Amino acid sequence: MIPFRTGLRAALGAPALAMGATFLAFGAASAEANLAFGWALAASLLVYGMAGQVVLLQLAGGPVAGAVLGATAANARFFPMAVAIAPWLGPHRARRWLALPFIAITPWAAGMRHLPLRDPAARLPWFLGFALASWVAAAAATALGHGLAPHLDAALRAALLFANPLYFALLMAAELRVPAPRRAMLLGAAAAPLALWLPPAWGLLAAGLIGGTAAWAWGRRA
Amino acid sequence: MSGADLALGLTALAMLGLRAAGLAVAGALRPDHPFIAWAAAVSQATLASFVVLAVVAPGGVLATVPGPARVAGLVVGLGAYAALRGRLLVALVAGLGALVVVRAVVG
Repeated sequence: MIPFRTGLRAALGAPALAMGATFLAFGAASAEANLAFGWALAASLLVYGMAGQVVLLQLAGGPVAGAVLGATAANARFFPMAVAIAPWLGPHRARRWLALPFIAITPWAAGMRHLPLRDPAARLPWFLGFALASWVAAAAATALGHGLAPHLDAALRAALLFANPLYFALLMAAELRVPAPRRAMLLGAAAAPLALWLPPAWGLLAAGLIGGTAAWAWGRRA
Repeated sequence: MSGADLALGLTALAMLGLRAAGLAVAGALRPDHPFIAWAAAVSQATLASFVVLAVVAPGGVLATVPGPARVAGLVVGLGAYAALRGRLLVALVAGLGALVVVRAVVG
């Protein structure tokens, strides 16, 4: 139980604040788009990836296929993220599936950073503690944002939305000392302008694929 | 069931599928397989692109924040993080504070 509690506590600082701020803004935006409280809560818990949630919110009024495809493309990173974190989720392959609903940017980034430092048996409980705390924080923030929507002006919501990219920038800064992530981040940042030529849902996917693949190839030659 | 509900339900299933496919593929590979290294590189590159786009060319409500305020938020956040030797929460609050202040000044 102790690694579970350590993970839970690790989530309840900067990670919960950064994520909570963004999900609060999402809750408010969905209330403004006349989407029900239950819809907003389900989107946060079941999609649980802000890029896809935002696309879904923007396209929810239009054709269903377009919204689903756009949101899925925007969150396609879940596939490589699940591949990359799986080996760190403890020695019992079957139990790794417990982590399934929680593979999302915030727990992933924290897991990739902390799990290698822990005892193999402690890894999965640590991740589950972190992930459950983040999941509950995201849901609570969404509910709060939906209820508070009339009181949150656009300026405040914009500031809240910036918490997420800033938090990831800080996490990445900590990883810049390690060669493989450094290569991936530099080339990912360099590939970002590619996203400007594509529809928003696909741009991030393309930039990540191109930058990441180039970094991986560079690492194999190095 | 409305179109928005259907879209949400199908997207939730697609998310489950992406995550499950990742775990299944990784389960069939050695931990040091090149595909796992590739997947990590693509994830990290995606995250870096996400941050750059949020600062340089954001969409939605974030686009209403002037560019100098976004850059100030990032620079002050990173600076505080370096100066305070990795205190995430303080750096985060400092960066957001800088964004709000510069936005108020620039207008």
